[in-house]
Amino acid sequence: MLQRRLWWFAILAFLPTLAIFAWVRIYPIGETLRLSLHKWDILSKNKPFIGLDNFRELFHDRLFLDALVNTSIIAFGVLAVTIPLALVIAGLIHHRTASRFSGFYETAVFIPHVVSLVPAAMAWKWIFDAKLGPLNALLQYFGIPAQAWLFDPVLSVICIIVLCSWQALGYAVLIYLVGFKSLPVSLFEAAKLDGAGGIQRFWHVAVPLLKPITLYVSVVTLISGFNVYAQAFVLASDSQGAPGRQVRVLVLDMLENSFRNYRVGYAASEAVVLLAIVLVLTLIQFGLLREKGRK
Amino acid sequence: MRAQRTSRSIMAKIAATPLALAVAAGLSMTPATAQTITVWSGYPEMAPFYEHVAESMKDEYPDLEVKVEAIALREHEKRIALGLTSGSAGVTVIELSGSTASRYLENDLLPAAPENVASFVRDPANFDAFFSETASREGTVYGVPLFRGQGALFYNVDMFKAAGLTEAPKTMEEYTQYAEKLTQRDANGNPTVSGWSLRLSGGGQGIAEKFWINLFQYGGSVIEPAGDGKWRANYANEAGGKTLKQYLENVHVLKTVTPEMPADAEAFERGQTAMFIRESWVIGDIAAKAPDLNYATAPLPRGSIALPTNLYVNSTGGEDAEAAWAFALAANEPENLIWLLDNVGWLPNRAGVDYSVVTKRVPAFAAFVDYPEGYEFFTLPAIGPIEEVLTRLAGQLTNAYGNADLAKDDAAIDAFLASAAEETNNILSREGLLAE
Repeated sequence: MLQRRLWWFAILAFLPTLAIFAWVRIYPIGETLRLSLHKWDILSKNKPFIGLDNFRELFHDRLFLDALVNTSIIAFGVLAVTIPLALVIAGLIHHRTASRFSGFYETAVFIPHVVSLVPAAMAWKWIFDAKLGPLNALLQYFGIPAQAWLFDPVLSVICIIVLCSWQALGYAVLIYLVGFKSLPVSLFEAAKLDGAGGIQRFWHVAVPLLKPITLYVSVVTLISGFNVYAQAFVLASDSQGAPGRQVRVLVLDMLENSFRNYRVGYAASEAVVLLAIVLVLTLIQFGLLREKGRK
Repeated sequence: MRAQRTSRSIMAKIAATPLALAVAAGLSMTPATAQTITVWSGYPEMAPFYEHVAESMKDEYPDLEVKVEAIALREHEKRIALGLTSGSAGVTVIELSGSTASRYLENDLLPAAPENVASFVRDPANFDAFFSETASREGTVYGVPLFRGQGALFYNVDMFKAAGLTEAPKTMEEYTQYAEKLTQRDANGNPTVSGWSLRLSGGGQGIAEKFWINLFQYGGSVIEPAGDGKWRANYANEAGGKTLKQYLENVHVLKTVTPEMPADAEAFERGQTAMFIRESWVIGDIAAKAPDLNYATAPLPRGSIALPTNLYVNSTGGEDAEAAWAFALAANEPENLIWLLDNVGWLPNRAGVDYSVVTKRVPAFAAFVDYPEGYEFFTLPAIGPIEEVLTRLAGQLTNAYGNADLAKDDAAIDAFLASAAEETNNILSREGLLAE
């Protein structure tokens, strides 16, 4: 009887949270799926069901394909930069835990993550500015010609990877630091007794033990990488003829289709593709890291 | 005892709450005769004008409260799409170009103008038929014409003189020749002041609109009417090829302008470019930001875009709506229109008003009002997908402008234009507007 009451209590306690979760998370996803199957023009009264026509059109849409390629490069680029760098920086900070500057190191790395995105992006826009930016000034000091960072098709994508990685790094380092602090000291001591150097202990002991953390951080980083928008928008934004090339990313393409072209159904089909990509990649990451973890 | 006092105090507070709420509500209530309207504009520089109009209405509407919300054009367009479809906008005067408004009118999202407003707009003594038609649909008036975006060449007289140029270019070929002469370079040959500032980047449809203006000089257009309300792309041809080639030649071959150089009105005002094509609002902007700039204007070789912007009201019933329509009419009072031209620089559309008090004092307006005989105008078609056509073309053009390989490859230019035009036609076809 008591167990049944507890059971009901647990359900009732969870219910408000579940209801809110369903309302703000599950319902919008379901609604997006529904919209993606309709010719849902924001302005027209007639919104007919068109099956998979939106998806068929998507895969012949050059701007969407451009956006998909750019977003994938940015997401994997950020992942490739952030994870190893965060691991190394966290390792170094952990190594210097006893230092009186350890708090400063942690704060310095974490600050970019809490800085508001728009002012941070504006600052980077200035850094990358071809005429006035300090980056080109530095390059020219060493005799390297100035680059059109924000307009060149390749460099403008690299700029976004740098900006996103700079922001993602602080969070990744923080999570890795928590991981480092929870590792058993005895294993490191045993490795030390066996003659392993600092780098060997890091590579052969810490890195394998931190795989669950790596899984979490890489999933979060990849998902946020695929959702990149504001960075691309701010780096190219200006009131008149932006000094930057608008790198087309998926979220930007969705916004354009929704609110410039009024094609909400079509934009919803892009959102569904993005959801599918992120889901598949997350499952692959889980599979790979768990598999290796077992071995 | 203390518990009793506490409970009495709580009871007293509970009893007093409705009274307090009623008093507060009463204090915040406005008199029944007061009207409140909001003005949505896509041009921040227009805010002082609308405030000026509101001020001019004080005698007739002493309690009228006008909230002017002027934001960047692209955000303004998003705001309208969301505000009108959700019905959350309140009584609002909406500034919108005729071509953009067409989609809202097709879907009954904007009401027809009241009869007194419609008569004012239809009166040929007030507006040329071109302007009253862009504010109407199928003979019904929906908006009140206000101003238009019309392009002309702005050039820096001192830079022209230094380059030995005495008059504005008259053909598109001369534009490139002038740009070469006007470009200032450093010791390594890199341009430091662009000869001709072109719109090469940024978001939105502006890139395609600017391309269309140049294309028009060569005799082309992004889309052309084909009868029976149908349209087709009209730039995968010789005119389109010449236009795109001119862009690419200036950017990648002659380097009279580069994408990373400061551009547009700001660059012109700072002396970072010698010439560029823009609308008349730049005159007001220069007067405010660079009053000492020695510049002049000139008509374009063949003609210009004329993009009329109208005022619409999202409601017709009630005192607020009446005040909103009165506001749209007041904006067209001669005194206010002269103020607009003088202080902002956008060209008013109303006929029968003597603007010479401003145009004589500011010679730069000459290119906009005293154009040569046979000078032609075009406007954006009032069809639903025009923004999508332009926005997607802008996306394609941005890629093309960044592709140096295209510059010397005519076949690649043709292939690019054919592919972009196919996309334009696909959009028209999807909307049932493509000519067979």
